[in-house]
This record gives sequence, structure tokens and C-alpha cells, in this order.
Amino acid sequence: MLLSIFNRTVFLASVLLMACWSGLSAAQETASGDHVKVRWLVPDTFGPGAETIGFYFEVDPGWHVYWRNAGDSGAAPRFDFAGATGEVGPIQWPFPVRLPIEHLTNLGYEGDVAYLFEVTPDAAAMDIVVNLEWLVCKVDCIPGYGIMTLSRPVDEAASWQPQDVQLRDRFLAMVPAEATAENFLWQVAAVAASPQAGTLQFELAPREAGVELSTPDVFPLDGGLLTAKAPEVAQAGENIRYTFERVPGAPMPPSTGFVVSDGERAWQLDDQEIQAGAASAAGAAVTMASATGPASTQPLWLLILAAIAGGAILNLMPCVFPVLSIKLFSLAGHDGQAAHRVKEGLRYAAGVLVTFAALGALLLVLRAGGSAIGWGFQLQSAPVVLGLILLFWVMALSFSGLYEFGHHLMNVAGRSRGGSFATGVLAVFVAAPCTGPFMGAALGAATLLPAYSAMAIFLGLGIGLALPFVLLCVFPALLNRLPAPGPWMETLRQALAFPLYATVIWLLWVLGRLVGESGWLIGAMLMLVIVFAFWLGRHGFRGSRWLAWGLVLAALVASFSAANRLQEQGVANGSVQQQEAAAGWQPYDRNAIAQALASGQAVFIDYTAAWCITCQVNKKLVLDTAEVADLFRDNDVYMVRADWTNQDPEITRALGELGRNSVPVYAWYPAGERTPVLLPQILQVSMIKDLFSEK
Amino acid sequence: MKQGMRSKRSIAKFLGSAVLFALPTLAMAAAVPGEKAPAFSEVDAAGKTHNLKDYEGQWLVLEWFNKDCPYVKKHYGSGNMQALQKKYADADINWLTVISSAKGKQGYLEPAEALDVAKNHKLQASAPFLLDSDGSMGRAYGAKTTPHMFIINPKGEVVYAGAIDDNDSANPAVIPDSANYVAAALDASLAGKAIEVASSRAYGCSVKY
Repeated sequence: MLLSIFNRTVFLASVLLMACWSGLSAAQETASGDHVKVRWLVPDTFGPGAETIGFYFEVDPGWHVYWRNAGDSGAAPRFDFAGATGEVGPIQWPFPVRLPIEHLTNLGYEGDVAYLFEVTPDAAAMDIVVNLEWLVCKVDCIPGYGIMTLSRPVDEAASWQPQDVQLRDRFLAMVPAEATAENFLWQVAAVAASPQAGTLQFELAPREAGVELSTPDVFPLDGGLLTAKAPEVAQAGENIRYTFERVPGAPMPPSTGFVVSDGERAWQLDDQEIQAGAASAAGAAVTMASATGPASTQPLWLLILAAIAGGAILNLMPCVFPVLSIKLFSLAGHDGQAAHRVKEGLRYAAGVLVTFAALGALLLVLRAGGSAIGWGFQLQSAPVVLGLILLFWVMALSFSGLYEFGHHLMNVAGRSRGGSFATGVLAVFVAAPCTGPFMGAALGAATLLPAYSAMAIFLGLGIGLALPFVLLCVFPALLNRLPAPGPWMETLRQALAFPLYATVIWLLWVLGRLVGESGWLIGAMLMLVIVFAFWLGRHGFRGSRWLAWGLVLAALVASFSAANRLQEQGVANGSVQQQEAAAGWQPYDRNAIAQALASGQAVFIDYTAAWCITCQVNKKLVLDTAEVADLFRDNDVYMVRADWTNQDPEITRALGELGRNSVPVYAWYPAGERTPVLLPQILQVSMIKDLFSEK
Repeated sequence: MKQGMRSKRSIAKFLGSAVLFALPTLAMAAAVPGEKAPAFSEVDAAGKTHNLKDYEGQWLVLEWFNKDCPYVKKHYGSGNMQALQKKYADADINWLTVISSAKGKQGYLEPAEALDVAKNHKLQASAPFLLDSDGSMGRAYGAKTTPHMFIINPKGEVVYAGAIDDNDSANPAVIPDSANYVAAALDASLAGKAIEVASSRAYGCSVKY
């Protein structure tokens, strides 16, 4: 006892000494450096027992600090306790996010984070002196140093500032718990190394069969063994297999550790034994599992059926419908040539299937490479959107009769041999933004399924899209119901030009969202030049044709490079976000959402994109109506608009966790719930009302 | 924190990355301990060309450098790196310091600037900086950070790849208490012993390709 009093005196003396010295080196209750502010997250008064406190880091937007395993570069912060009147536990690290930084991946935190630890005071005051070192990075890194002191009285009970204890609890909820049979819904099925491939496989199995679980993130604890690059994720039966890349040449330890996170909580798995020779055996077990049972919560045949149904519905989408109608009527003209029509139908089907297969293959290759992308990704590229504007503009002009494409356009929507195939290709390309009913679940499953099942789903979509057209070709009886060819066809063709003009306007809007306001200008100028070139070409004075071609060429080069450059520069459309914020919609921010959920607030997330027509229809007719806005406001709902117009890995990841890779997705977290309810892809105001009337 | 609109890629890049992933052996080339070192041919700040072949039959240390990186400053400001370079130069071990920063990125140096920096950093390497501004050598070796260290034995095999030591603090004060992996590997090799740690997580700033 005497000794401990003596110790305390010595400690306090040394703290005082520190405090004097601090006059020189600025020891205080906070620390700061470039882009970082650090303060204590502590109670005003400590209680006698153990208390979890921490260092609260506020980091400038775009900068990040690190997890315990910093990843491919960077460094974890260091907390060197110079002294404390009590027992100090180890640092507790909230689970991180993957931060792709140029060619590397880091593990850390953007925005704010609290590094926590437990203290048990053993004196009348809780005094701590700690030396801090941290590294904050964007691409370039800046180290920071500081000395922080703390002195708080110890009383009968701890008393916190409410916002501080909320912050503490938010990050404490993110600290990995030791995984046990009670708290961890998974169990580790295998940790296996294959020495040749330079990878390590980590496989999770659901603890209870048949329970639907979203795919959790897995972070390696040992950065010397595994790189921080996102592992390749594959579904194997009910199991999920993560294939990590190993640090080249790193020797294989007998065991290693991981942190598994579902985005809200996390679990730590220490000392997982690595089965060195068992890789092939585990692999075989996996193949068997996927061969015996379709690898999803839904059977594969059901997913394929859904894909076919979804594909068939795509035919009615405003961008696809005109193209197909014209094609169909051109066929109706060929009386009695049944064989010819069947051939045309099959060519069209081939075009659709080949394109779906190609898109699907590209998606799978990118998935294998670890890229997080989703369906409709081609519309996240400004040059592709500009190309579609050009295509639809030229088609609309032709439909209007400005000029006869004659045998030119018919290559796209017409009679010649390659035509039907090309129509198929085109139909797929323009159908991509119209994710309709049934498609979401099928496409989502395709991101997780083994390659061949995923491909089956893509082909299912293609079959669905091609089916109505092929049926009409094969059964002339259906086709003969159509009125006989005549002058009315010309009228109809002109009428169908208008949905195409509408599509052009919509695509211009998408371009505007992608590259900013100049998108409109670039698109409209290109359209003007095209019309002018047609006019020049038709009024054949000397050299006008050459001039027309030259103009078109110059306009194409200029507009495409401008669109590409603007997108590369990342001209973000700040005004759109401000507008959204004014209407109560927040941009997607994982931390803010976690915070809202932790505080028991209801959350509604609208996963949307400018190029997704279904999304825009739902937004205009349902979400942005005064009625729904009132409902959300009255029920204190945290509204998030996750805008996927541009490629955004965070949103892609969030979609993946919901089992989707396309928009729209509407996720509803009732107050106090942490698992979302997914609403249908075609929304109605009554559905939103039902969310609140169930209580 | 604004997460939206952060990453913008064009289809061209998607296709490019698709090709990269399709050819992992080309894209993921790296210097792996126990395997042959990737060939290189780079010009130093003084205009002399260095090839891997030139160093056949000799020990060679490669060090990635960026004068503005705090971790490079840690080892140069304290004189730690120069002391190592000097110590092993005296033992006839070659030491090349490489700058892979692309033009316009942090740490990029024109040859004349590089000569100045070599002088005021008191660089003790076998040659003034190798200027790999196209990143070809850095990518071939899989150099991730500055300083990333590689040791190549007289047979042309990589025997060490990773950090310079076991302490990823940016504070030079920790150097005396850190275990230097490069020194340990070279000392063991010179004494004819096996290298204990042949790979470690390279800490530091990302290489600015």
C-alpha cells in the first residue's frame, strides 16, 4: 500500500514534470498535424471500474489513417504510453475499409475514427501521458507526432458527454469481437495455401445450413504474408471462398489471423492453422459442393427463369421497342418467305446472345481480376454514352425521313444480312440501363456464382430478350395478324422517331451527369454537326461531300476526346449533390449510415444512377413526391441517395453485400433494425406508406 | 466525406485492365525471393547505363527512393541509409538507388537535379540515382514503396525483398532499436550463413508511378 502511494507520487511528479516540459513541446489534451486533429474520447469523470476510452481522429476529406495492418504501404498509428495512474489495455482497432491508392491497396479509415483502449484507474485521478505518432495519406503521406495528456477525477460513477459516449459506442461496435459459436454466424471451413499460385484461400461456412447471409469482408491481420488487395470471392455451395494474394516470397507461417466484418460488426479469428498440403483437397470439396447443389440461396433454374422473364420484359423498354418494331415491320413486308424470316430471327437471336455472352465474359474477367463493377457499367463511361447519343440521333433522323439511310441504316435496323445480327447487338447495348423486374436478383447472383452458372444467367437474359422476336418470326400466324404493309408503315416509322428523340434527350442528360454541364454542349454540338453534314452532303456542290465527311470526323474526334478528358478530370457535379441535400437526401457515406443505424434511426437507401430509367421513373413518381417526402420526414428517416452514375467502388461493394450488382435497389432499414428489407424494383407510393403503417 | 463520384474510369481502362488480368504473369511480375531477378536496363543521372547482366557474379542491393517521402527522409536525415551504402560498398557490394517517380509526380528528378540531390544527400551508392521515370524497372520488380529494398546474389537470384527494417515508424529516433533486415541478410551472406528473413512487408510511401 505504502509502495503504491509512493509509486503514485512518483508518477504524478513525473506527470508534473511532463506538464512543465510541455510548455515547450505543447503537451496537451489534443494533438494535431496536417489534415488530422486528435482529441480524447473520455468521460468527464471516471468511475472506479474499467472504462473504454480512446483517441478520436478527425481526418480531412480524401485523406486517411491506418488500421493495425496498414496494407501495401503506410503505417498504423502508434500510441506509446509514457505513464498512467491505472491499468492500460491494448489498443482496439475498429474494422477498416479497403482503400485503393493507385497501384496499391491500404487498410484504414477515411473521415473519422476512434482508436480505443480500456483503462482501470487505481488512483483518485486518471492521469495519462502518451506519445502519439500517426501517418496520414492521400497519395502522398505526412507523418504527425504529438504528446497528449489527460487528467480527470475518479468518482463513484463515470459521467460522459452524451455525444462523446455515442461516438465511443459507434466505434466500439466496430471493434472485432473474439469469434465464438454464439456470436459468429460463420465458421472457418478451410485456410489453405497453394505454394505455386502465390495465393491463400480462406473459406467460411454458415454455422447453420440454409440461413441466408450476406458476404462479409475479410481483412488479413498479417500484412507481411498477404497483400491488402481485395480477395477474389467465390461462392462454393453455401460456403464463401476468399482467395488472397500472398506477398511474393513470404515464408508460410503455421497459422495466421483474419478479421471478418459484415459492415456493422466484426469478429477476430486469431491463429487459424494453415493447411499447407490440403489446398487441393479443399479445392476438390469445393468443386463437389458446387456440382451437387446450385450455389445460391435460390436454385439456379429459378434464377435463369427470372433472367428469361426479365429479358423478355426488356423488349418493352422505350429504347429497345422502336428498333425492334421497325425491324419487325420490315420483315412483315416479305410475304410468304417463312424460311427467310426464321433465318432473320435466328440471326437476331445470335446477335443478342453473342453480345450478352461477351458482356458477361467481360464482367466475369473483371470480377476475377478483383474489379468491383456491375451491370450497366458501360453507361458509366462518357464516350460510350456519347456514342449511343450519336447512334440514336442518326437513327431518329432517318426515321423522321430527313434522309433515307436506304441500304445504310438497314445495316442496323433493316433487311440486309448482317442487319439482324447487328440489331441484336444493338438491342442488348441499349437494354442495359433498363434493369426491370426479375433481373436484379438474377444479375446479383451472377456476381457470386461460379463462372459457368453466371454465364448461364447472362444467356438466360439474352434468350428472354430474343424470344418474342424469334417467336414472331417462327410463327407467321402471329406476324400475319399485323396489318398488311402499306403507306401506314411510313407514318408509323416517323412516329417511332419520337421515342428515339426522347432517348437522345435522356442520354444527353446522363452525359451531363457524368461530365458536368458541358456534357450537354458537347452532345448538342455533335448533333448539330451531324445534321449540318447531312445537309451539306445532300446539296452536292463541289467538294461538299468531302467537307461533310471532314466536319463529321473533326466533330467526332473533338467531342469524344473532350468527353473522355472531362470524365478523367472528374468534373463532379456538386450542384446535384447540394440539390439532393436540400431535399433531405444524403450522399452515400458508409460511416454516416452506420452511425444512423447505431443510433436506432430508420434508414432508406436509394441505389440509383442517371442512366437507369427505372430508377428515374421511381424517383419522379414515388420517392420525390411531397407525400413520400413527408412520410420520411415525419418518421425521422435517414435518407441516402447512393448515386452510381459514375463507377464508385464503395457503392458497388454495398450493392454486392445486398446480393445485387445493378440498380435500382431500395434498401429499407426499419428503426432499430440492422438487416434491410429490399423493396421491389418498381415502386409505388403505397409501398412506402406500408412501411410505416405496419407498426 | 464524399464517397460518390470518386472513381471514374472509361471503358478503355476497363478493357485495359481486362487485358492486364488476362495476362497475370506479365502484369504481376515481381522480384520474388528464391527466384531469378527480373532484368533491367536503366540510365543513371550521370548518363551511364546499368544492366542486371553487368552485375553477374557480384552482390547487388536495389533501393527505391523518393526524396520527398517521410520514410526516405527518416533513413537519409539520420544518415542510416548512407552508412549502410558506405559499409557495404567497402565490402565490394554494389548498391543502386532507383527513382521510379513518373514525370510530374512526387519525387521525379531531371538528371541534373538528381546529381544535386545525390550530392546534398551524401549518397554513397555505386552510382548516382537510376532514373526509371517510365516505371519499367519498378514495375518489373514489383516495387511498392519507398524505401523498398531488394538484394540479388552473384547468381542473379533475389535473396531478400521487403522493408529496410522492422519498424515502420517515420520517426528517425527508432532506428537504433530497429532490426535492419538488409544489413542482417548481407552480413549473413558474407559470413556464408543462410538468410533468416527473406521477405517482409515493405513499409513507406507508395511509389509514384
